[in-house]
Amino acid sequence: MNDAAEDLKQALNIAGDAVRRESDGSVRLVGSECGDCKARVFPPSEVCCECMSENMTPLAMGPAGTLYSYSVVHAAPKGWSLPFIAAYVDMPEGVRVFAHIVDIDPADVVMDMPVEATIALLGTDEFGQPVESYAFRPAAKGGK
Amino acid sequence: MREVSVIGAGLVPYGKYPEKTVADIAWPAVKQAIEDSGLEKKDIQAAYCGTALGGMMAGQRILKKLGITGLPIINIENACSSSSTAFREAYIAVGAGIYDAVLVMGVEKLTKFGGGTLPLEKEDWEVSHGLVMPALYAMRAKRYMHEYGLTEDQLAMVSVKARRHGKLNPDAQFREETTIEAVRQSRPVADPLHLFHCCPSGDGAAAVVICSAEKARQVSSDPIRVAGSEINSGKYMTGYRDMTTPEITVRGAKQLYEESGIGPEDVDLAEVHDAFAIAELLYYEALGFCAKGEAARLLEDGETSVGGRIPVNPSGGLLSKGHPIGATGVAQIVEVVRQLRGQCGDRQVEGAKVGLTHCTGGGVSGFDHGVCSIHLFSR
Repeated sequence: MNDAAEDLKQALNIAGDAVRRESDGSVRLVGSECGDCKARVFPPSEVCCECMSENMTPLAMGPAGTLYSYSVVHAAPKGWSLPFIAAYVDMPEGVRVFAHIVDIDPADVVMDMPVEATIALLGTDEFGQPVESYAFRPAAKGGK
Repeated sequence: MREVSVIGAGLVPYGKYPEKTVADIAWPAVKQAIEDSGLEKKDIQAAYCGTALGGMMAGQRILKKLGITGLPIINIENACSSSSTAFREAYIAVGAGIYDAVLVMGVEKLTKFGGGTLPLEKEDWEVSHGLVMPALYAMRAKRYMHEYGLTEDQLAMVSVKARRHGKLNPDAQFREETTIEAVRQSRPVADPLHLFHCCPSGDGAAAVVICSAEKARQVSSDPIRVAGSEINSGKYMTGYRDMTTPEITVRGAKQLYEESGIGPEDVDLAEVHDAFAIAELLYYEALGFCAKGEAARLLEDGETSVGGRIPVNPSGGLLSKGHPIGATGVAQIVEVVRQLRGQCGDRQVEGAKVGLTHCTGGGVSGFDHGVCSIHLFSR
């Protein structure tokens, strides 16, 4: 556990401001909402893709989401830890995000399952440095 | 717009040519297309070249080998739709009367990347988080299987049919048949997709000469009319979207059928963008060859095989003929032109009068596909 925590500290966060850990330890994704037309987008954008307004504010999403589809990926560019589970997760805020699914045996993944956001090591960059980003894991039993 | 015809077609056999340059690969296709057209090279007034990863000014590099220079040469990148986009732009230029005779070519050399998944733009968010094209199609497949009951055997049958057609095409990269079992037992790539569900990495080039229908009647004994042409970009959608419905193809097909007065029931054969096996099934439905959820039945009944009601990918398609991405759009057109002329030997679709080509391009977050171009041809 300590080793994993140490790894996380050193890892490069490739999601930047699009992920944050709350004081209670939960992980939330951060997109943008347009202050004028209320359109929502992930990752964050400084301009609205609907009305071109620049009046964009951060939108915290999750941590709960629903798995729309997934695939166990065995072929990807060098650096990604293979195999990994790629997925589209639907956030209750109306936005779909691409993410890795972690902490589950691929055989146990099912469509439409509830998941929750976490932060995970996903591989290494071109210099061999570990990279981390948001990911999803099975939702805790009982749900939140 | 005046009428436009294809009068010359050329294609090099698809394969792996790591020792050749892009220009080495492509010039024979260009020469073949010009010789086939009945025109001389001096008659070519402009050239359009589609390539996604072939580097700067591929068109100039190819055409200098044949001494076709000094004319406008336009290089176009639009991912896997690069040369279908080039064809569309050339069609507009001839149709508008700017030029009478134009060359369109497509070329790609994927062996320079040494295999693996197609290199995508790392600035894209999902790509930066590990999205690869097989995974995207795999997620479409998973959802389609979940919603419509498609089985793994049925998915494998797409590849079996593609290889059966490819065996009859001397220009195809894969010329051996396969079985449902062999497809399912091939190396896993992105479940449910195995290696044989995926188009191969390879090199190739294709070219056509187009001209005004009026000029075509003077120089060609067998011109093929461009009966419809459309291109669209995908719609950027940040919310939930139905991955079992390729919206850009549905939208483009509807537009093209309305504009041309030709419907899916009139199409005798189609070359569609089967980069991965699931894609072909989605496109049967999107192009109106069957109703939603009935693609597997259409395939199983043999209706999309040569000899069936609506043969799809008689060339072997991307799965068997190969998919050097920038070449694909024009290569599909070459196949349809040859089919409509009755030049396709053992894979000939008998009596074909109307053919359709469908080419997409993806790899950008939030789109079903970034681009899709569909064309109709008739004799």
